[in-house]
Amino acid sequence: MLLLICGLTPLILGGALPFLKIRQRRSRMIYVVAGTLLTSLLCAVLIFSEKEHTLELFRVTDLLTCRLHLDGAGKVFLAVAALLWPLAALYATEYMRHEKREGNFFSWYIMTYGAAILFSAAANLFTLYIFYELLTLITLPLVQHERDKASIRATRRYMLTLIGGAALGFIALIGLSFFGAGDFIPGGKEIAGGSTWVLWLCMLGFLGFGAKAAVFPLSRWLPSASVAPTPVTALLHAVAVVNAGVFAVTRLLYYTVSPALLQGTWVQSTMMILSMGTILMGSVMAVREQHLKKRLAWSTVSNLSYMLFGLSMLTEKGMAAGLGHMVFHGLMKIILFFCAGAILVQSGRTQVRKMHGMGRKMPLTFGAYLLAGASLVGVPPLPGFISKNYLETEAFSLGGALPIAGAVILLMSSVLTAIYIFTVAFPAFFMRLNPADGEGKFQDPGAAMKVTFVVLCALLIAAGIWGGDVIRYLNGIAGGILS
Amino acid sequence: MIASMLILPLIGAVAAPLMGKKSGKLRGICLRMFTLVEMALALGLFLGVLQGKEFSLSLPGMCGLDLSFRVDGFRGLYALIAAFMWAMTAQFSKEYFNHGENHGRYACFTMITLCGVMGVFFSDDLYTTFVFFEIMSIASYPWVAHEETKGAMRAAATYLGVSIACGMVTLMGMFLVWHEIGDLSFAALRANNGNAALVLPACLTLVGYCAKAGLAPLHIWLPKAHPVAPAPASALLSGMLTKTGLFGVIAVALNLMGENQIFGHIMLGLGLFTMLLGAVLAVFSINLKRTLACSSLSQIGYITTGLASAVILGHHGSLAAAGAVGHMINHSLLKLLLFMAAGAVYMNTHTLDLSALRGYGRGKKLLHVLFLIGALGLMGVPGINGYASKTMIHEGLVEIVHEFHGVIWYSVAEWVFLFAAGLTTAYMLKLYICLFWQKNPDQKLQEKYDALNGRDMTKRSAIALILSAIPVVILGILPNQLLMPLTRISAHFLNHHEQGDVHFFAWVNLKGGLITLVIGTVVYLFFVRKVLYKREKGYLDRWPKGLDLEEIFYRPVFCRFLPWLGCGIASFFNGIPDSKLIQVYIPRVISGFLSFLDRLPESRLFTRGLPGVIVGITRVFDELVDHAMLVGREIFLVNRRELRRARNHNIFTYLASVIAEGIHKMIRFLLPNRWLPHRAPTDMRYGTYVTNAISFGLLLCALGIVAAIIYVFIRTGT
Repeated sequence: MLLLICGLTPLILGGALPFLKIRQRRSRMIYVVAGTLLTSLLCAVLIFSEKEHTLELFRVTDLLTCRLHLDGAGKVFLAVAALLWPLAALYATEYMRHEKREGNFFSWYIMTYGAAILFSAAANLFTLYIFYELLTLITLPLVQHERDKASIRATRRYMLTLIGGAALGFIALIGLSFFGAGDFIPGGKEIAGGSTWVLWLCMLGFLGFGAKAAVFPLSRWLPSASVAPTPVTALLHAVAVVNAGVFAVTRLLYYTVSPALLQGTWVQSTMMILSMGTILMGSVMAVREQHLKKRLAWSTVSNLSYMLFGLSMLTEKGMAAGLGHMVFHGLMKIILFFCAGAILVQSGRTQVRKMHGMGRKMPLTFGAYLLAGASLVGVPPLPGFISKNYLETEAFSLGGALPIAGAVILLMSSVLTAIYIFTVAFPAFFMRLNPADGEGKFQDPGAAMKVTFVVLCALLIAAGIWGGDVIRYLNGIAGGILS
Repeated sequence: MIASMLILPLIGAVAAPLMGKKSGKLRGICLRMFTLVEMALALGLFLGVLQGKEFSLSLPGMCGLDLSFRVDGFRGLYALIAAFMWAMTAQFSKEYFNHGENHGRYACFTMITLCGVMGVFFSDDLYTTFVFFEIMSIASYPWVAHEETKGAMRAAATYLGVSIACGMVTLMGMFLVWHEIGDLSFAALRANNGNAALVLPACLTLVGYCAKAGLAPLHIWLPKAHPVAPAPASALLSGMLTKTGLFGVIAVALNLMGENQIFGHIMLGLGLFTMLLGAVLAVFSINLKRTLACSSLSQIGYITTGLASAVILGHHGSLAAAGAVGHMINHSLLKLLLFMAAGAVYMNTHTLDLSALRGYGRGKKLLHVLFLIGALGLMGVPGINGYASKTMIHEGLVEIVHEFHGVIWYSVAEWVFLFAAGLTTAYMLKLYICLFWQKNPDQKLQEKYDALNGRDMTKRSAIALILSAIPVVILGILPNQLLMPLTRISAHFLNHHEQGDVHFFAWVNLKGGLITLVIGTVVYLFFVRKVLYKREKGYLDRWPKGLDLEEIFYRPVFCRFLPWLGCGIASFFNGIPDSKLIQVYIPRVISGFLSFLDRLPESRLFTRGLPGVIVGITRVFDELVDHAMLVGREIFLVNRRELRRARNHNIFTYLASVIAEGIHKMIRFLLPNRWLPHRAPTDMRYGTYVTNAISFGLLLCALGIVAAIIYVFIRTGT
């Protein structure tokens, strides 16, 4: 029951916001932050309670039942969302001052939280599919918030890719339900016979749910969706929504069908090749891209495929490493996007080339950028290094041509990451402002943004120190799967 | 102890810039205090190690894996040298950084780099080495970029690019080693010493370390980065950061690849090439610090040659190994001294151009003596420290020549070595004579230089320089008493036996030194003075402009071609979902096909063509029947009377018609009249013909069946 309350609270709070007719901006902001905080507290209770939370919502047929159940992997996904949502809301309170239709925005913003919570607690593929679609639809108004040509085009692409992808997922769901698979059991269901069909269904499911994780043929939506306001790109398109894609693939590969069924098949090879290709393509495109937010979006595309690569190894350590990268990448990327947003708000600059020398004027923003960026590159004491290291180690201990090729690609991508991160950060600190880029009257953003930066950076460093424990916890979850 | 030495610099890194917010003075004090305390700790550690104490530390779970540290003789020694160098440069920095800005940044990253360097030297497995190596690489970037000029930014970019890219190759190699032997601790490496399967992984692992050490062809960052960095930082870059690279080289080369001949020869080739290249570049250089940087390159080549000889000679190679370590120590100390001396020049003149610096040192006795000590040390003059270690490396090469007697290539190697050592003498003479003996043709400038005499350095800087020079001299005078024990305590890490005393001042060894000095003097007199120097113009830059490996190979390939290729491929793939093929042509084909299917029922084919064909076919049959009827009628249904009249009938047709008429009549007779159709008139219509004909046909058919049944009965009956 707590599960449902927890999921419905933000849906109700968000839905009620337009009807409350709050006049003052300040009180609305308090409402938003308090609402997300309250939800996060409820989530914390959920995560730390020992009790099993299970709830059946409704039943279509015996095969298709809408049921909620929160397990270990779900808790990880939920914890990331619950940790970052209030911070993002706090950031948004300052950021959205510069945008129109705030009330509208925050209403959807809070409601998305509810969809994410319910998504994390889905107990079978059908429920997962429902909340997957819900998450797509609720975020639509956020993507087209600007309502200009670019955002409408982005929305169209977003809708086409994600709903189309979900349709593929739906085929997989229905097909697998004929084989009796659908409920999430750690380790998945051993399906005897008909394996060709099952392989094809898994491939479709991977592509369909991978659409949210921006795997190659379905990756274009993510960079174009970066026209949305920064809190959306930061939280949804770097953390919540895209993680949902990775999470759905985890559910498919490790909880619905048995990973042993797919090991060594063409499906595994295809998944690996697709994710490896996406890693390289994302990194290269990020290097090429000059618009900061789009560059970060391409970087997200690349990093999401790190996770998919980890998952496609179909071993418990691969899964733990993939999910670990999901956690750490969320933390790093949200900081990077927040910095990009702060730069945009304070100076109106979006092009990378115009950011020379800005680090001196906005030391906190660019300091946070440098820290998170260094982590993304994989500079040792920071968390990005840990998860990448686990991915590499697992790829090498797996052996074989594809995993080792993948490991090489990860290293190449690290070099590319260094290029696209440091070519922003270092000139910002070590070069002078170029007068041709316009006036240099700007400074670090206000208190709300500063607080988010400081808290997030502290979290990042903490993750670097205790990152091993996170991976160990994930290993514990994964250990139950393939034993 | 180890932990405190790692954490202390980090505290300093936070404290110094914070202090700097209050006043620059406080920051300087903070920096000096921290480095001095670090040095005291390092000294304590080293003395502890000398007494046989064991220091080790392991941090399980840090950075996702275990970090482990251990201090033995070599590592304790190098930690001490590092701390000493940091302390000396911190003393020197006070005066050097009187002007300019970003001192807080410099202080912060200097301390972080110190932490990285200490971590590298304390590390007990390759993984830990790599972690701290990367921290150090990134933290030393601000040194190179410090001046923030265009050249500095470019050099810094090269430095960072080389560091990161080569670091990734190292990581790759480490994973491969780990894949093979499952453990990266130095003990495990030693246990797998000489494993032939590990040559490729070991070579990959070495890439990052060689790049940091400045081994050709990965040296490109070194001659660019050292001149633009502030002098204290150049001293550390050249004296210490290159040695961290060599630390990795030793760990892999001597512990993992000892006695592996292929590996040893690759390294020997690289070492000799670097040695020669650095020396040649240094001779041609017209920039004070660039000359010193190229000299570093050359000296790294010596050290690598020594290590390679140790690998090739296997367990006979302890002399070469001791020489390599000795030269590492000597080179660190020498470069500390020389770069700080160069800094002392630069902070007064703000130029590094040798032509403009002519005559700067005239009358500056202290600087003169200190620089001379450094120069003589590098040249390898007996009595100063460089001589002993060079001699040992040379002896190592000579041993190889003896061992592989008759292979010409080793003799060539020995002569390359001697020639490069000679060039060292030449370029150091060039610097020394230029600074301290030549007179500047510009009178005013010379007067300005002379006016500085006696107050060109503060006391603090002078003390720092003197303190750096003392070990150079002592180690040189007493090689067997001081330098050899230092190499002996390093023997364990080098995976070699302890080397006994060497008769450094015997004639055999002195002869080698003398040859190099003669070669050097000849080159100086007949090449540097004649070709590279014109009295009016000063020192000439005769190095071909285009001949720069970075400009002709690395930058075009890595900054133009590969990005072009990569971006091309990536945007091609990225464009696929948006391409005309996917967006236009395929949908067009599909929709065309569908709309074709959609319109098919209304098409002429279905509305006209097919019905026409069917109608045609049926009409053909229709006509056929009609005509059959007509023919039948012609045959059968004619009047007998008419038939008789007709001449064209034969007997059979006549008979047939008679029979038919008979049957007809019989039917008429048998059946009631109303059951029968009326006899058709001759002009009756086709329709009626048809019915008649069909009834007639059916009748015949029935008859046939009856006949067939009768036949069957008869057959079965019989």
